[in-house]
Amino acid sequence: MTRHEGVRAATPAPPAPRLSVSALDKTFGSNRVLTDVTFDVAPGEIHALVGQNGSGKSTVAKILTGLYTPDPGAQVAIDGVPLQLPVTPQESRERGMAVVHQSLGLVDEFTVLENLRVGRLTGSRLTRRIDWAREREAAAAVFARVGRQVPLDVPVGTLLEEDRATVAIARALQDAQAGAGLIVFDESTRALSRRALEHFFGILDEIVATGTAVLMITHRLEEVVAAADRVTILRDGRSVVSGHEVRGMTEAELTSLILGRNLGDLDSRERLVPADDAPRVTVVGVAGLGVAEASFEVRQGEIVGLTGVGGSGYDDVPYLLAGVSPARAGTVSLPGRDLALAGLRPADAIAAGMALVPEGREHAGLAMTESVAENIAFAQTSRARRPLAPMPRRNELALVGEWIDRLGVVPNLPQAPVNTYSGGNQQKVFVAKWLATDPDLLLLHEPTQAVDVGARHTIVEAIHEMAASGMFVLVAGSDENELALLCDRVLVFEEGRIARELSGQVTPDDIVEAIYAGGSRGALRARRDTGAA
Amino acid sequence: MTDTSTTEAPRGAEVADTAAEHESNATRRRLPSWLVGGRGPARYAVIAVWAAMTLLYAALLPETFANAGTFATIFGSQQALVFLAAGLLCTIIVGEFVDMSLASNFGLSATLVAVLTVTHGWNVWVAALIAIAASTFVGVVNGWLVVKVGVNTIVVTLGMGTFLTGIALWAANLTTVAGLPIAFSKIALFKVFGLPLSFYLGLLLMLGFFYILEFTPLGRNMRFVGANREVSRLAGVPVTRIRFLAFVSGGAIAGVGGVLTAAASGGYDPAVSHSYLLPMFAATFLGTAILQPGRFNPLGTWIAVYFLATGVLGLQLLGGTTWVSSVFYGGVLVIAVTISTVLHRRSR
Repeated sequence: MTRHEGVRAATPAPPAPRLSVSALDKTFGSNRVLTDVTFDVAPGEIHALVGQNGSGKSTVAKILTGLYTPDPGAQVAIDGVPLQLPVTPQESRERGMAVVHQSLGLVDEFTVLENLRVGRLTGSRLTRRIDWAREREAAAAVFARVGRQVPLDVPVGTLLEEDRATVAIARALQDAQAGAGLIVFDESTRALSRRALEHFFGILDEIVATGTAVLMITHRLEEVVAAADRVTILRDGRSVVSGHEVRGMTEAELTSLILGRNLGDLDSRERLVPADDAPRVTVVGVAGLGVAEASFEVRQGEIVGLTGVGGSGYDDVPYLLAGVSPARAGTVSLPGRDLALAGLRPADAIAAGMALVPEGREHAGLAMTESVAENIAFAQTSRARRPLAPMPRRNELALVGEWIDRLGVVPNLPQAPVNTYSGGNQQKVFVAKWLATDPDLLLLHEPTQAVDVGARHTIVEAIHEMAASGMFVLVAGSDENELALLCDRVLVFEEGRIARELSGQVTPDDIVEAIYAGGSRGALRARRDTGAA
Repeated sequence: MTDTSTTEAPRGAEVADTAAEHESNATRRRLPSWLVGGRGPARYAVIAVWAAMTLLYAALLPETFANAGTFATIFGSQQALVFLAAGLLCTIIVGEFVDMSLASNFGLSATLVAVLTVTHGWNVWVAALIAIAASTFVGVVNGWLVVKVGVNTIVVTLGMGTFLTGIALWAANLTTVAGLPIAFSKIALFKVFGLPLSFYLGLLLMLGFFYILEFTPLGRNMRFVGANREVSRLAGVPVTRIRFLAFVSGGAIAGVGGVLTAAASGGYDPAVSHSYLLPMFAATFLGTAILQPGRFNPLGTWIAVYFLATGVLGLQLLGGTTWVSSVFYGGVLVIAVTISTVLHRRSR
């Protein structure tokens, strides 16, 4: 590695940062999205880059991967040597920087070996065939460095989540020399369960101890507080906090720095203790997909959470109730109406007063190329009795306007396509679409996944409000923080059945403890006292 | 068609653009949303090019181009293409990429009318109904294979198209079948304000299609099925039925177009069917650059059909022969697909 011998020679010692970004500006047309973003990632640290949706995090990531060209004057340097801008993946790879994308960037159908070596495969000299023996050696060497064993010849899709995380890290690490290099994780961890997350940070901790640096671009504040050494916060395209020591910070402090203001305390919701004779929704004997048999009640105004480990069936329940996944058996009794779940169609469930807000905004939530107004009104227009009667535009715009106001969707441009909005605002549109059907039973699956704290706050408040107005609410989720915030009662699933029930004041720790049946929520990272940074 | 590589769209830029645009549009705000939904004057660019092209031809060919006959030729000759493009839109809008069999299906219908009437002496009206029914049935088969069985759209419809052309050639004994009754030709050629009835039928079809897409729940469901099938399914839309019916209506519209075309020319030569394929795509894709940029839309497509006709006719009058239409339609298709892709990307 060459070391830049320049102006800094006067003060001896501090090693050049692994990655140094300075005076980073980016404008699209007349719109400036990044202004003078500056931060350093030191060797041997985990550095977090956080900010709301739209604060410029993903723009920074796209500049680091070479997708966007920064405005002139910016400097990106690795180990003190400036990179050519725009960044070329070849050059940054040669210099030891690797980027891991969302969902770890693995192709499920290919084997571990193929996933690891793709893009680096070399042909043998004569026939140009891939020399698998050599590739295998290289792969084994990388896993040895990571200190984990993963079978090389199985498809990545069949691996445990923990092992998938290992493969992604190994792939990012393989081009860096031992003790050097930089891995950038761009929202890579959001699909990981709690257990996989602990494993993930366990490996990272060992890796940074050798001097490799990690830059984590993330939404999860817990990851910052519990695992990062330093944090850089972007707000409105500026690095308002650059390389601040994390130790001693709380999530609340971080939140107010990210937003630039204090949020009201979300924990202040009073737990509901419904009367015994309150109206209720009763679910009896639901079965199908991962659910073997489950019966439970939701009382009016109550928010009930469903959780469990992946594959325990908790996340299938909303889809079975809404007629979206085929149920084998079971009934749901809404006030004044009983529905058999076998053979239930989505349209029947909606007509009976159920609304499902599924996981996956892009996949199942919104038609991204259509307008905000059409998306919000869609759950109504989709079931119009007379398909050729023109829609009353005035009613529709009134409905849309009301929900844009209630959830604070910005900007207020009902005719703009949804994909011109930030993730958080898209999620608001998505939730609004289903709340607008005015359901009796609201079914939610990961309602605040991958949104920033501000939007999460709005959505959680909207759900609380709906419950207070007399709705029955069921939330399936894997995020213990979200469930603790939202729910009056939490049902924990195990192998397709309800194993435990938590009620009263539920903390995230209680939920994790119940999910893993006694296994407590470990620290994400056993912090070392290395004094890095 | 969707890009799944980024979950968090590179926002900011576009939002601000849209905001700025809406501010600058403040005076035009009162226009209905379906008209201002696009992105400024770009929507009219093709229409402006059309006008410029017309003026250029008129200047170069004051005798032959700038007269009423040219006008009647351009607007009186494109009914086949209008119907074909409308049929293609049916499947494109619900997200089935392309129905390659439409042109041959259209040819099948035209051939059946001619053969049944002229060769076999059937009543021409009965023959017409049978022809439309046959084309609709082809749509049913396509829809069944693609939607219910799940076979790849392009391969199925490409094979179906070749198969149908073969059947039509066999039925017509490889020749042009002519001699349909004059009275029958009135359904296509009856003059209204100097233009044949089929022109108005095509316009009516496109207007009706536009109305359905913009103002009715059915049209919105079709667009949402095209934009995101899962979203539509969860909202209670009968997605399978809509996709299936899109193929069926595509077939039926092609069938009607075929009957009108046979009526207009008094017969049909099945060997020319394939020559409609490319103009149909060129018009449909060029249509995405007109009126509602980045979106397949009936009125834009309708304008594109006549834009193409003007371009080809002018070049022919300038001395080009049969090669002209290949050059023009092919060139426009490439340019139109490029524009369509770029617009789509910008609207993301």
